[in-house]
Amino acid sequence: MAEAQIFHDHEADKGHTAKWWMGRVAIYGVLFLWTVICLFPIYWTITTSFKMAPNVMQGHLVPFVDFEPRWRGWESLGLSPRLIGQESTVREEFIKRFTNSAITAVSASTLAVILGSMAAYGLSRFRYRFGFMRNPDISFFFLSQLILPPVVLALPFLVLYKELALLDTRIGLILLYTLTVLPIVIWIMRDQFASIPVELEEAALVDGLSIWGAFVTIVLPIALPGMVAAFILSLVLTWNEYFFAALLTSTDAKTLPVMVASQTGSQGINWWSMAALSTAAILPLIVIGILLERYIIKGMAAGAVK
Amino acid sequence: MKKHIYDRLVRSGRLRRRDMLKGMGATGALAAFSGVATGTSVRPAWAAAHGALRAEILGIPGVGAGSPTDADWQQVGELCLGPTKEIVAEGEFAGVELTFMGLNNQNLHNFLFRGFLKPWEAYTGATINWIDLAQADYNARLQQSIATGTVDFDIIEMGAPFEGDVLGRGMASEMPDWVKDVIDMDDYVDYLKAPVGTWDGKTYRVSIDGDTHTFAYRKDYYENEEFAEAWAASGGEGAWEQPKTWEQVNAHSKFLIGKTDPLTGLDAHGYLDPLKGWGGFGFYFLENRATPYAKHPDDPAWLFDPETMAPRVNNPGFVQAIQDVLDLIDAGAYPADQINADPGTTAFQQFLAGTGGMLNWWGDVGSSARTSDTSVVGDVVGFDINPGSEKVWNSQTGEWEMTPNVSPNNAYIGWGVYVMATVDGDAQKKKAAWSAAAHLGGKDLSLWASAYPSGFQPYRNSHFQYDEWEAAGYDRAFVEDYLSSNADSYNHPNAAVEPRIPGIFQYYSVAEDELAKGFAGQYGSAQEIADAIAAAWENITDQIGRENQIALYKASLGM
Amino acid sequence: MSTQGDLLHVVTSDAISPERRRLGKTLIWGSFGVMVAVFVVLGLSEAGRIGMEFATWRPALYAYLFWATCLCIAQVVLYGEQGKRSLFILPATLFVVAMVVFPLIFALGIAFSNWNLSSPDGRQFNGLDNVRQMWGDPFYWNALKNMVYYTLAILVEYAIAFGLALILASQIKARKFFRVAFLMPLMLSPVAVSWMVGKSMLEIRFGPISRLARWLGWDRPSFFGDPEIARAMIMMMDAWTFIPFMMIMLLAGLQAIPKEVQEAARVDGASGWRGFWEVTFPLMLPVSITAILIRIIFKLKLADVVINVTSGGPGGATDTVTSFIFREYRDRSNVGYGTLLAIVYLLLIVIAITVFMKLVDRWMNPRY
Repeated sequence: MAEAQIFHDHEADKGHTAKWWMGRVAIYGVLFLWTVICLFPIYWTITTSFKMAPNVMQGHLVPFVDFEPRWRGWESLGLSPRLIGQESTVREEFIKRFTNSAITAVSASTLAVILGSMAAYGLSRFRYRFGFMRNPDISFFFLSQLILPPVVLALPFLVLYKELALLDTRIGLILLYTLTVLPIVIWIMRDQFASIPVELEEAALVDGLSIWGAFVTIVLPIALPGMVAAFILSLVLTWNEYFFAALLTSTDAKTLPVMVASQTGSQGINWWSMAALSTAAILPLIVIGILLERYIIKGMAAGAVK
Repeated sequence: MKKHIYDRLVRSGRLRRRDMLKGMGATGALAAFSGVATGTSVRPAWAAAHGALRAEILGIPGVGAGSPTDADWQQVGELCLGPTKEIVAEGEFAGVELTFMGLNNQNLHNFLFRGFLKPWEAYTGATINWIDLAQADYNARLQQSIATGTVDFDIIEMGAPFEGDVLGRGMASEMPDWVKDVIDMDDYVDYLKAPVGTWDGKTYRVSIDGDTHTFAYRKDYYENEEFAEAWAASGGEGAWEQPKTWEQVNAHSKFLIGKTDPLTGLDAHGYLDPLKGWGGFGFYFLENRATPYAKHPDDPAWLFDPETMAPRVNNPGFVQAIQDVLDLIDAGAYPADQINADPGTTAFQQFLAGTGGMLNWWGDVGSSARTSDTSVVGDVVGFDINPGSEKVWNSQTGEWEMTPNVSPNNAYIGWGVYVMATVDGDAQKKKAAWSAAAHLGGKDLSLWASAYPSGFQPYRNSHFQYDEWEAAGYDRAFVEDYLSSNADSYNHPNAAVEPRIPGIFQYYSVAEDELAKGFAGQYGSAQEIADAIAAAWENITDQIGRENQIALYKASLGM
Repeated sequence: MSTQGDLLHVVTSDAISPERRRLGKTLIWGSFGVMVAVFVVLGLSEAGRIGMEFATWRPALYAYLFWATCLCIAQVVLYGEQGKRSLFILPATLFVVAMVVFPLIFALGIAFSNWNLSSPDGRQFNGLDNVRQMWGDPFYWNALKNMVYYTLAILVEYAIAFGLALILASQIKARKFFRVAFLMPLMLSPVAVSWMVGKSMLEIRFGPISRLARWLGWDRPSFFGDPEIARAMIMMMDAWTFIPFMMIMLLAGLQAIPKEVQEAARVDGASGWRGFWEVTFPLMLPVSITAILIRIIFKLKLADVVINVTSGGPGGATDTVTSFIFREYRDRSNVGYGTLLAIVYLLLIVIAITVFMKLVDRWMNPRY
């Protein structure tokens, strides 16, 4: 596949030779194969949520052709046309979890992007020294938080949060999630700012803006795609986080992944309801991915090659 | 309160009924108590409608109508509110908030409780917050709560094995006498009566479940002429019929290699051992094989030596059980990937879905076979108590005795509802919590729970009335077969009852890890596997405190 | 604090008066004093020495916030324009210190104690006993060994991701569609993936992948029966979710290569395979290393899929350090030992990553 890489646009490559055609076929073959690999599990999850036991057991694949779609899986969430008008304890539960997930993920990502962008800008523009720590050390200090295995902090956080009355609160979860995604944000934003020429700010300073004024009015708008990219990545990580959510929440702040994991138990798995819940859990991110995909690439592109 | 104590108190004149009822705040309770006093366990206020009620709830949604849903649970909860209305005035608990911690087992357990308690909340005015835990997170969460003192729940659904951890630390609220009468504890099957649910002579538990492993097998395998002929031709010992001992189970499993399943047309398999751990619960399945070899009728202890807490898991009885599994692995008797099959897989993805001929599981696999959406084998499953063995190891003499032995494994002793000591300071809250617990442990509600997919099994003598099940739409032969396998296990004189000591699941968990390694071929022999488990168990005992464990182990055995 | 060698030079002529300096110092030390006082009061009330009752340590949190705010303000008061620069980095630093350093110190205390949650005696300091136990724990070493295999698999993931990025960067139709499609696995929750892929699609009877395997001639497909295959399956599932991540980083890098460079290479006669190795690949090295490094870090945390799908089986072949500690911690409530294992793991990672980064640094910038 490497034959057909970046030099495609040159005249010499555009001759419709047999070799060129074979290359095209190979490339599109690979593309379609990988598309299937990426999308089939999602297709499988969504279709399974409309299946009944025999459909699952017999491995039926295509709705309306292989099997008649049913709402059984969605009924277990109280989200089917039949049940939508009725009062349902399971639906209330689901909506509560969904809201919790949304609030914690969005707040933590926002907070991380704000704190992280500021720190990254500082690190890319100024030389700091805190005691023995210089810029590379400070960078490493931030980035090393990414390395921290969650289990190290599990029990300390449990006890600490208990003392601070932060157990089972969304605030507690938001703070912790901010911590876990902050390194990734700093990493992305540092490259982002490094790729913005310093002259821009120097010009702004000459025009009488303060450092913060230049940062907010000149630099941030340029770095926006990077911030969106960092935000989306943070969102992905926080929305899907399971370990701490399972540990630190119980009633009020419990999130969706915990609900998905607790579908498993001593009674076997009802694939249809598992699939329905999984679908509900992955759908928001899929939508965000489709809508904002271009920002991710743009955001990572800046400064990727120095 | 037990009737004879009550009678004596009344006769001696030390207590008048009205005094006893003081503070209960509900005139209906008087009627409830008079039922006890007259020697019947039926509450008079609704006695007439009682039989009809049981029939009515068993018709929701009806056997064969698929898994019940939220609306069904709420309806059952509403219909079973009778005892609550006797004792609690409408709106009496307005403003009371309770937190209930329980399992979310595949949308069962807590999800049912929500539905059951919804009408209770509407009637009493109390509100309940829910903590749902996955089965695998349950033990961890409970231990963390205990260790860090974060008891953020008022009511807990808990298994008896954890009583050592919770009751032993005085974290639970003692059951008020009025609850004992509402839930009619005399109706419990024998092994669920004290000492289970009690600690230092005080009662704490509202049982909502009884647990025992039973043996499920595919009747169509044993009615299959081809199998019978082939079995005779292969020189198999005995007739081709349901195996009664592990020796037979193993022989049948080896025989079935390469045969075709009469129901599904896929490969036939024999007994399904779960070879992968399951957060500690997987060890019960090795126990099933081991109890007949290792639980001697003269000795109540079988997991540990009650004097020293020395593990017995590496005695020849357990080693034989491990060896049996290793032999079947070597023979290729299991479905592909069995090494990655946990008990949930063997029961629900394999057995109920038509793979494999024999299985041990808790009794609810029986009702699931008929009423669950996952099952395809409803009509062809037979039940019995766990297989026995042809020999038994005597730990006292250190010798094998060549006498047949049977020892059903009453694994987990069932779920119960416990009220935490957090409510003790507030009389109204306490009454509300116990009222909710009593509602869930009610006689009729539990009948429904044992008949439909709920995660709970029959556990009251009144659950074993076959007529009720037949009227609900169960096949008489099936239900007799299924219910009697449970009843026989509960009441078996040599039943293996699990110790209610702190950290029991730690022992199981580490045993699972070592067994998984052993089944993957990383140890030289069954003895080596067993020795590794025993060594790990000694460590845990030392860590938790040996003297303490010995005392609690003896207490749990009634020694 | 010194700010010599800034990239962004600011000409400042802040004349900081002595009063202002004093005000700044007072702010810092005053608020610090308030915080210490709050801690002391809380500590005393916890010990029952004074009559005041506090339900929680929440006031300590507020005191820390107060001190942090004063510290930030004081930077500007004390150092003027220079101080405003520290404001960029200070909030994040204070946040991370509060959230990591305190718990980490606490974790060290736990790591060197015998703490089984079931034990009625609670936590007891036991010195180096846990270290000795770790030394003789075959499960732990086995898990570490597995981590090496898992990490090595990143090279394959990298090759695939690079290939896909190259294709996406080339002239293809419907590029946007493919880009979005390829990105999707990254969005999915690992818990959902382990159930819907690991358990459902790989189910050996009805799972679509098993049926495909049978159609391809594998009669009795078994994905988790054999240690090597099981480990490979876990690798594949994990790769499936994270290849998109490396792919977008590499794609971003490819798109950032200036057209002139390619043209120049073209003129020099480098094309196709040779052009890739001589021009594109070297240019992509920095971004490649970044991508691989981030990927390694994520890989070292691999646990969700293992816990849900295999529980480390068969026989520990798929166990990761995190999934093993998770079992030790959750199923066996052995908190002290589990925490020690986690801290040792953390040390090993820090050492390995530092060495890796130094090596890369030396290799990329030979003059140092």
